[in-house]
Amino acid sequence: MTGLVTVLGSGAMTNTINGIVDSDVMLVIGSNTTETHPIIGLRMLKAVNNGSKLIVADPRRIQLCDSSELWLQQRPGTDGALINAMCHVILRDGLEDKEYIAERAENFEAFKASLTDCTPEWAEQISNVPAADIEQAARTFAAAERAGIYYTMGITQHTSGTDNVCALANLAVITGNLGKAGAGLNPLRGQNNVQGASDMGCMPTFFPGYQRCDDEAARKKFAEIWGTPVSDKPGLMATEMPDAITNGKLAGLWIMGENPIISDPNSDHARKAFEQLECLVVQDIFLTETAEIADVVLPAASFAEKDGTFTNTERKVQRVRRAVPPPGEARDDLSIINMVSNRMLGNNRGGYQGSRDPIYHTVPPFAAEIFTESASCWPALTGISYERIDEEGLCWPCPDADHPGTPILHMGGFPRGKAWLSAITWTGPAELPDEEYPLILTTGRVLYQYHTGTMTRRSEVLEESAPSAYVEMHPEDAKSLGLEDKEVVRASSRRGMIQLPVRVTDRTNKGLVFIPFHYREASVNLLTNDALDPQCKIAEAKVCAIKIEKIESESVEITLN
Amino acid sequence: MKTVTLTIDGREIVAEKDLTILEVAKRSDITIPTLCHVQGKPSDSPCELCVVEVAGNEELMCSCVTLAREGMEIQTASEAVIAHRQERLAVISETHFGDCKAPCNLTCPGQINVQGYIAHVAKGEYEEALRLVMERNPVPFSVGRVCPRFCETRCRRILVDEPVSINHLKRFVADWCMSHEIDLKIPKDKPTGKRIAVIGGGPAGLTAAWFLTRKGHDVTIFEAASKLGGALRYGFPDYKIPREIVDYEVNTILRMGINIRLSQQWGRDFTLQDLKDMGYDATFIGIGATVDVPFDVPCTDKENVYTATNFLRMVNEGRELDLGRRAAVIGGNNIGMEVARSLIRQGVEQVTVIYPRARLEMPANQRNIREAENEGVQFLLMASPVGLCGTPEASNRLKLDLLRMKLGEPDKRGKRPVIPIPESTNSLGIDTVVSSLGQMAVNGVMKGGELEEQLKLSPAGMFVANPRSSQTSVEGVFAGGDASTGTKSVIQAVVSARRAANNINAYVMGVEKDPADNRFNFHRGRTFDDVSLKNFDGINVNLREKMPERPPEVSTQDFDEVKLGFTEKMARREAERCLSCGCTAFDRCDLKKLDIELGININKTGMGTVPVYPIDHSHRAIIVDRNKCIYCGRCERSCEYDALEVKCESLDEKDRPVGLVIDFKDNCVSCGKCVDNCSTGALNKRNRIVPIQAEEVREIRTTCPYCGTGCQMILKVKGHTLMEVTADPEVAPNYGDLCVKGRFGHNFIQHPDRLTRPLIRRQKGMPLEPVKWDEALDFIAQSFAKILGEKGPDALAGLSSARCTGEENYAFQKFFRSGIGTNNIDHCARY
Repeated sequence: MTGLVTVLGSGAMTNTINGIVDSDVMLVIGSNTTETHPIIGLRMLKAVNNGSKLIVADPRRIQLCDSSELWLQQRPGTDGALINAMCHVILRDGLEDKEYIAERAENFEAFKASLTDCTPEWAEQISNVPAADIEQAARTFAAAERAGIYYTMGITQHTSGTDNVCALANLAVITGNLGKAGAGLNPLRGQNNVQGASDMGCMPTFFPGYQRCDDEAARKKFAEIWGTPVSDKPGLMATEMPDAITNGKLAGLWIMGENPIISDPNSDHARKAFEQLECLVVQDIFLTETAEIADVVLPAASFAEKDGTFTNTERKVQRVRRAVPPPGEARDDLSIINMVSNRMLGNNRGGYQGSRDPIYHTVPPFAAEIFTESASCWPALTGISYERIDEEGLCWPCPDADHPGTPILHMGGFPRGKAWLSAITWTGPAELPDEEYPLILTTGRVLYQYHTGTMTRRSEVLEESAPSAYVEMHPEDAKSLGLEDKEVVRASSRRGMIQLPVRVTDRTNKGLVFIPFHYREASVNLLTNDALDPQCKIAEAKVCAIKIEKIESESVEITLN
Repeated sequence: MKTVTLTIDGREIVAEKDLTILEVAKRSDITIPTLCHVQGKPSDSPCELCVVEVAGNEELMCSCVTLAREGMEIQTASEAVIAHRQERLAVISETHFGDCKAPCNLTCPGQINVQGYIAHVAKGEYEEALRLVMERNPVPFSVGRVCPRFCETRCRRILVDEPVSINHLKRFVADWCMSHEIDLKIPKDKPTGKRIAVIGGGPAGLTAAWFLTRKGHDVTIFEAASKLGGALRYGFPDYKIPREIVDYEVNTILRMGINIRLSQQWGRDFTLQDLKDMGYDATFIGIGATVDVPFDVPCTDKENVYTATNFLRMVNEGRELDLGRRAAVIGGNNIGMEVARSLIRQGVEQVTVIYPRARLEMPANQRNIREAENEGVQFLLMASPVGLCGTPEASNRLKLDLLRMKLGEPDKRGKRPVIPIPESTNSLGIDTVVSSLGQMAVNGVMKGGELEEQLKLSPAGMFVANPRSSQTSVEGVFAGGDASTGTKSVIQAVVSARRAANNINAYVMGVEKDPADNRFNFHRGRTFDDVSLKNFDGINVNLREKMPERPPEVSTQDFDEVKLGFTEKMARREAERCLSCGCTAFDRCDLKKLDIELGININKTGMGTVPVYPIDHSHRAIIVDRNKCIYCGRCERSCEYDALEVKCESLDEKDRPVGLVIDFKDNCVSCGKCVDNCSTGALNKRNRIVPIQAEEVREIRTTCPYCGTGCQMILKVKGHTLMEVTADPEVAPNYGDLCVKGRFGHNFIQHPDRLTRPLIRRQKGMPLEPVKWDEALDFIAQSFAKILGEKGPDALAGLSSARCTGEENYAFQKFFRSGIGTNNIDHCARY
């Protein structure tokens, strides 16, 4: 998001899911779409059937590769080089959309100059993708009337995450692919409400609606709406919190619906830090690994037990409706926040602390009221109301009650005026293979599981479909270590060690292994690197160095399915 | 856009060019039935249900493949069209093999979704199981103890080993919910402003009150006794239904919000006219049948001669009775058995039941007779009392004279009457005699007032009520339960009162009553003889769980409950014995729907009689029953991944498949779309084992909680349980598509691991312990306030979630920014 804000002035998927079938070319980079976003993957396959060309850039031969015209098998962490080289080819051969650039971009000359040395041959050295393939990819992309870029965490979860996104934005701008249907720059959100949580200001430097905390006017506005002064001091990023705890700066933490002990890179570090907190409050639907070390655990409601909205990856605000009451004394998260707030701050609702609703036990202010308040403090949402999205959601920006919403962003211009073509210098991953840890580890999801598995592993069809972690390994690597398919091995990095079975497959490249991160019994984030992107502070979960060892003893206790 | 103008059923319609007639009709809200159509993917060999008549064409045309053209005149429901549809449906139905409803469901007088609640038990969803039972039977605690179990007599498991212990499972879920203090949170409709009086607080009155209250009416129960329960409390002794169970049952019902007036005897304390004057819009009479048929032999006016209901009432009220050593019970009905067993428990040494016919002809349930016998009750059969006039011997208080009986020639209906054997007089020396010769609601004329006197009574002393409308001879007065039907089982009283409640609701609201369940039913054989044993291939013998009970020598020493109830493990094991005969596609089957709509009588036109294919459980998410497949091909054509193949070896003379194969290919992603498109129950979602029948199912539109695509889903919810997830093909962004997580990934909601109470760790190193919300909130408020005071606002932070709603995220950051005063707020997926 930070990257998109730099180039364009706002960070969100620019186009729609429906528009995918209209694209002439799709560049899917760092996204195993058919497994992580199955319905979007389905639309991509449909587009291919309709004649659009698919370029996949991924270290693994993911399913989409089978339908692609071109597969660029880059080394993990080299996306920036690859994209810069594509831009280089486009500018070198004059394939850019000159009119578009003149009209809608700035800093072009400096940007062009920065790419002089980023030749396909240079990128081949770094990424291992043949220069000819990079040339072809660039030409195919530039030639398309409508070319869309789709990416996920494979691009962002790197120390160079922000730069990677900027590089992709550059590519979209110079080919004139922003502001029209079937094109765009499309981060596919991995979770149901990433967009909504960001929109609503759950970020240390932004108030709701991406209004900066260090902006005097914004502070004044929110102080007025909330009736209290607000701090101008930028807050801590999630990834900075463990160190802040260790340094004694942070003493109390309230975690709502997250399980950072499994999901965070170098998760053992996070656990040790959290254990030092004076007070850790965890609010969740299950006793997660993080909840287990909490001082207070609050039973929350699942999506089916509460009202509200989720904003999907296309910025579409859609209703969530309660269908069943939460179990036992569990309460919806909003009521919990209201209860804590009432208890701690006194009577923000005339001293009312309890609930009058005998089935759901909701405590006001209710979701509809909160939505109205949030919509009133950000013009992009002002035109959206529960009434309007009852049948179908609306894409923000939607500035007034008659506005039809904005499925495609940047049709007329960019929020920051012109797009800023930023010079990107490629930097490699923080940790590369060496003699001791000779393999590159990358992580991701599988179709049947989700995130840390708290939900999917408790849904029998899903769990039985993918019950066990595994490490995907190229046959030659397996052979050189003397490993058989399904054999349980030890995987370790400088940060941790896990045991899990090997899955020998040529879908992964030599020297590269892949482990899904859903499984607590073989939690791969014990191994991953928590080195941070200097700008947005995302951790480099997608690449680190590890070693795989055969377990010689007979005493393997993990049973295989 | 180019358009064409045509008429459908006389309506002029302007439609987009190049659309099929079916599509044009659909867009004009004209329904044309089809069994095979998938939008945009018409079948190569259509089912021909969608035929229409196009003027100028002799042949009927399939609307799914015929384009709408300029000037067409189309009839979608002409005689010829209907006849063709009926013919096609009959052909298709002829080989469809399965049970729509399970035999247990069909046999239950309460039409309770038996298979459904057993399936809930098998899944550990006891609360939902009870909720399902209570949709039709508000007294499951009692019925679970005393039901004659009509259902079990038809359980198909009998053809394998023994029937499923259905009633014990019902009792289990009721007891489980009681011991876990479950509040079922059963909703009721908005207040209607109508007031209903219910006379009688027994099973019928309670049932009527329950259903009427759920409909939003203001109900008052008038009960003559000092406590509610009626027959449950005063008719069944404690060893059958303990008092605390009756109390709990009654309270569960009253929690719905029902007014009660106790110790109010109808005819003495109030009359029907009083009720009218008080403003009640209708009255329900559910007073049961509590007046004993007199013991009509000479000299019954002596002491120590009782009638059954009076006797049981005295016993159940705990009255001290001097009953002597030997007692006789006159009559072989169920109440007689309870009298006999109560006498044993009162310390009577010898209890003899006297009945003029053979044991098998006794009206009591054979199970009840066996239980009485096990406890030492003796039976003197083919004997009839003639009087108590004789002088007893010194050791006895009474002398009961008897005549031996024999069977006479069969009458017209084939029943053999009993006739006394002349001079076979015999006598029995006893201390107490209790007659149980049947009950009536009123002996003689109902007294009280003018309206009471207008109430028509049957010769047997029951209120005459129209069996359809439940109306008595007095306008606005309804009757149900034993008071109108005569003495029957509790479940039958419930059914009668439920029907009356439905009628009363229709009466006071001026609306049609809820329709009865449609009786249309495919079946695998109506009687056991008709059911092919091939149905049970591969099912191993697994005998039923034995109900733990106290041995007679112990249980007869007191009035404590004899049967102790299943443990949870026993219940789960027993529930797993269910063969799940009924179809889990009951609520979505298009074949059944169209058969009913078009009036196909499958009992005449025919249905499958033997299973041809085994049920295929090999797919991880989908169960395949080819016996139900009608070869429509919707599954194959709806699959977005081309991962499903339906084929057959050949077609029979009516183009039906022989040697059918439904094959999932390796690239199947288990998204389940084929199941949603199946026109019968050939494809079923594996985790959807509870059939949904006539019960209310709510469909809630919401957004998928997994990835960021934001697929729109429909949650089908019954009670408090998510039954399944589907999607609307018309709604963006997913247009009916969902992935495996979308359709199958929501069971976690009901997982037993869910957090249900706040937990706190009072000190570092101590375990987490459950507490009340109050304490948890105080703990947080105090801890945060302490940190705030000592280290300032920036020592606190919040980690929010991309999983939670926008509103929750807004409120969360607002709490930290405006409440605490820090910007330390983030979520882990903001990049």
